[in-house]
Amino acid sequence: MSATPEEALVEQIGEALHLVIDPELGYNIVDLGLIYDVAIDNGCDARITMTTTTRGCPATNYLQSGARDAASSVDGVDSVEVSLSYDPPWTPKMMSPAAKAHFGIDDD
Amino acid sequence: MIGATLSRWTLSYFASAVAFLLAAEALMVLGFGYPGSALRSPETLVLVHCVAIGWLSLLMCGALFQFVPVLVAKPIHSNTLPLPALLLILTGLGALIAGFLQLAGYLPPNASVFMAASVLLGAGFLLVLWNLGRTLAAAWPLNLPARFVTIGLASVAATVTFGVLFTLGFAGEAQGPFLLELRARGLPLHFIAGLGGWLTFTAIGVSHRLLAMFMLSPELEGASTRWTFYLGTLALAIVVIGGVVAIAVGGRLDVVLLGAGLVGLACLALYARDVVQLYRKRVRPVIELNSRMAGVALGQLAAAALLTSAAAALGVVDRFGGALVFLVAFGWLSGLGLAKLYKIIAFVTWLECYGPVLGKTPTPRVQDLVVEPRARRWFWLYFAAVDAATLCLALEATLIFRVAAAAMLLATAAIALEFIRTRRLSNVKAALRLPTGTRLPRLLFTFVAS
Repeated sequence: MSATPEEALVEQIGEALHLVIDPELGYNIVDLGLIYDVAIDNGCDARITMTTTTRGCPATNYLQSGARDAASSVDGVDSVEVSLSYDPPWTPKMMSPAAKAHFGIDDD
Repeated sequence: MIGATLSRWTLSYFASAVAFLLAAEALMVLGFGYPGSALRSPETLVLVHCVAIGWLSLLMCGALFQFVPVLVAKPIHSNTLPLPALLLILTGLGALIAGFLQLAGYLPPNASVFMAASVLLGAGFLLVLWNLGRTLAAAWPLNLPARFVTIGLASVAATVTFGVLFTLGFAGEAQGPFLLELRARGLPLHFIAGLGGWLTFTAIGVSHRLLAMFMLSPELEGASTRWTFYLGTLALAIVVIGGVVAIAVGGRLDVVLLGAGLVGLACLALYARDVVQLYRKRVRPVIELNSRMAGVALGQLAAAALLTSAAAALGVVDRFGGALVFLVAFGWLSGLGLAKLYKIIAFVTWLECYGPVLGKTPTPRVQDLVVEPRARRWFWLYFAAVDAATLCLALEATLIFRVAAAAMLLATAAIALEFIRTRRLSNVKAALRLPTGTRLPRLLFTFVAS
């Protein structure tokens, strides 16, 4: 079964977000688990829910606008809304297996 | 606003602070001040205030302007006030040093410099307190790390108040009986409120959060950390309030200081337990140079606490007091300061330069702005030189102390050069160094909208 246009767009946005790194950890925000959700409204309006490794992080505004810019670069995306959430708070357990391996963290 | 922004003038504070550290170390190499002169000589007072105000306090102020907003997740009250505060403190410190040089006979007598120092330093620190105090007040109720900072700020208020009263005395003002008695016996209060309350207690609070952030350790807000806060606050209250009362009623100050010392020791023991937890429970197995060197500095604090306790038990605190204070100032506070500067300068520089193009183009990592193996050896030389210098002070080996101070100066200058390389992006590979939309950061301030 092929992906719907929305699912394909979500996947492309996810790929584009790999360009955005958390400066402190030096790894992309997708594999770090900082992207909580990507949704598409009206077929072309993206809504991204993301977090930061720590509340009040000085990089927060840059990470937010970086995610917006990266998602906006995807063909077919007309607008991007990025919101922050600290519920649940981020933990290293949210990293992808690749990111955990990069940092030498046990994948349990 | 959830994310804190960059502090525009933090780099200016850091540059001034490092310049004063280098100057103080150069003075020690030249044999100016203790141990070549007496502990309370004007020459030593020049040296002490270059370190306490010029280096450590400016470093702490610059770091707090950047990190109090991170601790409380609120923007700084004013991104403009730090500049006039810095200028006031620098000119006030200049006047204070000129005053001490007059007392030492290097300059002709002029009592007005002490008056100027009182006004300028008082006003400068008042601006710092106002700005940070308003930022903290906007975040009420405060989390635990921010409460440590609040007590640290109360301590600097006490330290500056004592200092202004002492300085006015040099100017021939404020000569009432209580003030005369305070000036005669109150030096330990000024000194402990500054080194213990303002610098150490604030560093303890901030380090809880920074170590957790940089090592991906769970944040500590448990009973042990709360008691570290309560006991530290109690110890400082005993010193400042109990000390002033003892002086006012003609009581025994040594008993007050002993009581505060015992409570302070319990506070440090709990802090040591917390630090061990932070390092043990870290998720990041390989930690960066700043966290490793912070660990060495923490070891110096533990050594200073144990040696001070032993000296007190043996009744030889007066004999070894200079060496112990040296270890606290250079092994613990300066060691921690240099280690954290190594990280903070890279982090702030990354945010300033690459933050605006994040998501538009590939960017380097913060770690790409530094070369840790090159800096590591200078940090080890620094700590080894500090320990050697401490030993020389304990053994009264004045000439060898100057050699150790020269090694400290060399190591500090090399670390400062690493800071400049970081700031100029010299370590970043050419392909990633300055992508479209970025510009080379300035050395002494940050390009950020207030």
